[in-house]
Parts: sequence; structure tokens; C-alpha cells
Amino acid sequence: MDRLKIGGLKLSVILCQFELKGPDPPQKIVSTVSKALAAEKINIEFLTYHSKKGGDYQISICVTQDKFYSTSNIFQKKGYLPVSWEVRSREKIGMVTIFPYHSALAILGVIMATWGENSIPVYGVATSLSAISFLTDFQAIDKAVEIIQGSFQLPDNHAPLKPELHYYQSTVSKKD
Amino acid sequence: METIAVYWESKIKTYGFNKIDNLFLLEFYYPATKTTELGKILSNDNFQDTKTKFIAAQESNNGISLVFCLPEKEGRDFHNSLKKILSLNSYRYLYPVGILFFHGPHFGDRYGIADAAFSSLLEADIKIISSGCSSASVFLVVAEDDLSRAEEVLGKAFDSVQ
Repeated sequence: MDRLKIGGLKLSVILCQFELKGPDPPQKIVSTVSKALAAEKINIEFLTYHSKKGGDYQISICVTQDKFYSTSNIFQKKGYLPVSWEVRSREKIGMVTIFPYHSALAILGVIMATWGENSIPVYGVATSLSAISFLTDFQAIDKAVEIIQGSFQLPDNHAPLKPELHYYQSTVSKKD
Repeated sequence: METIAVYWESKIKTYGFNKIDNLFLLEFYYPATKTTELGKILSNDNFQDTKTKFIAAQESNNGISLVFCLPEKEGRDFHNSLKKILSLNSYRYLYPVGILFFHGPHFGDRYGIADAAFSSLLEADIKIISSGCSSASVFLVVAEDDLSRAEEVLGKAFDSVQ
């Protein structure tokens, strides 16, 4: 089978992931948590959630690794999460974004198959209009990229985009 | 080198909202020990022409929980094919659902976007069935009946620039 064509790859900075799990409908919790993170000027780099029928609900939130402790503190504060909810965190993960794509489903399949064969975990997936992003261990990213380069057809001389600029948001707001 | 830039918005700007209606949502769980097998199935020729509009997945209970949104016919065909191939035990489907998605300047670099989106929809009592925020964009899956109202609510919470 011909290798699928993709336009390129983009890698994230080091992230951490918080998985919130519990029995209550999650919309109010996502709203409360995102408000608390915004109040601390913490950007959400990745978020997924869905309302499951039966079983627990699960919300996955990624922020940059340097915000790990401040984000943990928010989740541990009384009142942000119902008592029946548990939080599990995972440090030092990374996001690999593949774009553009013609078939996100086929890309998902190839990644699950090839990363799975190489024991590279998939902690989360989300699509946007022109990309599909995968979460995995940051230390596995080089290997993950190598597998992608061997499994897909990339433009000649393509190198994955790595973040060179780091944005820090000041606590001071200035207006004219 | 440090460069300081000042960017201030009284209301978060977006490039407008996009809607897709008449979609079929399929959600299922698959054990971690079989994700390689699932990957091979999803990437085989049977699904080469299957065009998803939204995918989200989360690691869950030693497995992976996946959500797919597709146009109705493709969604039903995908559902029927997977049922035969995978003998799914734990799944559900919803129809009709719609997707509202948007992005804006500096999305991905700034805080407060999820808060503005989720809180305004919560206040309007619009249920979000699924969501995925990545690559500076926000995707929200709602019941089709709520799609226009969700756009209206978000239109008030954000400033649309073209």
C-alpha cells in the first residue's frame, strides 16, 4: 500500500496532562476548572471531554510543564471538583501534530498501529480543521517522529516544526 | 533574548464560527492490548474514503475511548462495519448532532478561551456532548437542535472579526 501523504509535523513544548474522572456530567466542572485556570493565567494547550453513557466521565487537560504545580494546586483546592471526582496527572508529555491531512481516520489508524507496535503510548487525540494531534511521552517523541517519517510520505527535506518562541503572559495589563 | 509585546482584547476575538449539521456520533471503548489491531483496521482500505469531521480520544481504564463524528450515511456505514469487524461491546451512537468550531488570533498562546466558551454555553443551558481543543482551535459537539443557539451564545461571548 502507498504511504499516505502528509504536509508536515509540528511538535509541542513539554506538557503535562491532568485526567479528571468522575460520575457527574462534566460541563460544569470543565467550566469551573477552565475559569480557575484562566484566573491564574494558565493556557490550556489541549482539552478533550465527552459525556459518556454509563460509566465515568473523563476530562483531559494539558498545560505546559512549568505550570504543573500551579495547576495541581487548583485541582486540589476544595470546591473545584466534586468529592467523587479523582484527578490523575502525567508529567512530561508531548504533542505531535500532523497536518494537513486528507483522511484523519487513516492517519489515526496508522499512528495507533505503528506506535503500538513500538510501545509508544497514545494518551489523547483531537482533530481540528486541518490537523490531528496526538499526545505521548515527551521522551518518546524522537522515536515517534522517526516512525511517522517512515510511515507517511512527507515533502522533501521536511523537518518537524519545533517551538522556538516561548510565550509568557504577564500579570500586568497595559492599556493606552 | 526577550521581546515584550502587548496585546490586549476587551473581548476575545475569533475569525467567526463554523457549523456542520446532520452528523452521526459514534463512541466506543477499546482495550489497550488491542490498539495496534484497531489501528490496522482503521487504516485499511475499507475506510480510506471515510471522511470524519471530528475525532477525539482519551486513554481510559487501560484502553482508549474514541469519539467520531461523521456525515450521517458515512457514520452509519462506519458503525455497521466496525460492529461486524470489532464485535464492539461498549459503544453508543447519537444522531443528529452538530459541530461548532472556531479559532482566532493568538488562540493556542493565550488563556481564557475555554472559560469563555464553556461557561457561556453552561449559562445558556446548552449541553456539550463532546469537545476537542487543540492546534489553536475549539471544536464543540452539541445536539443538532442546539447548534444555532450555541452559535448565537458564543457570538455574544466572543468578538467575531473577518
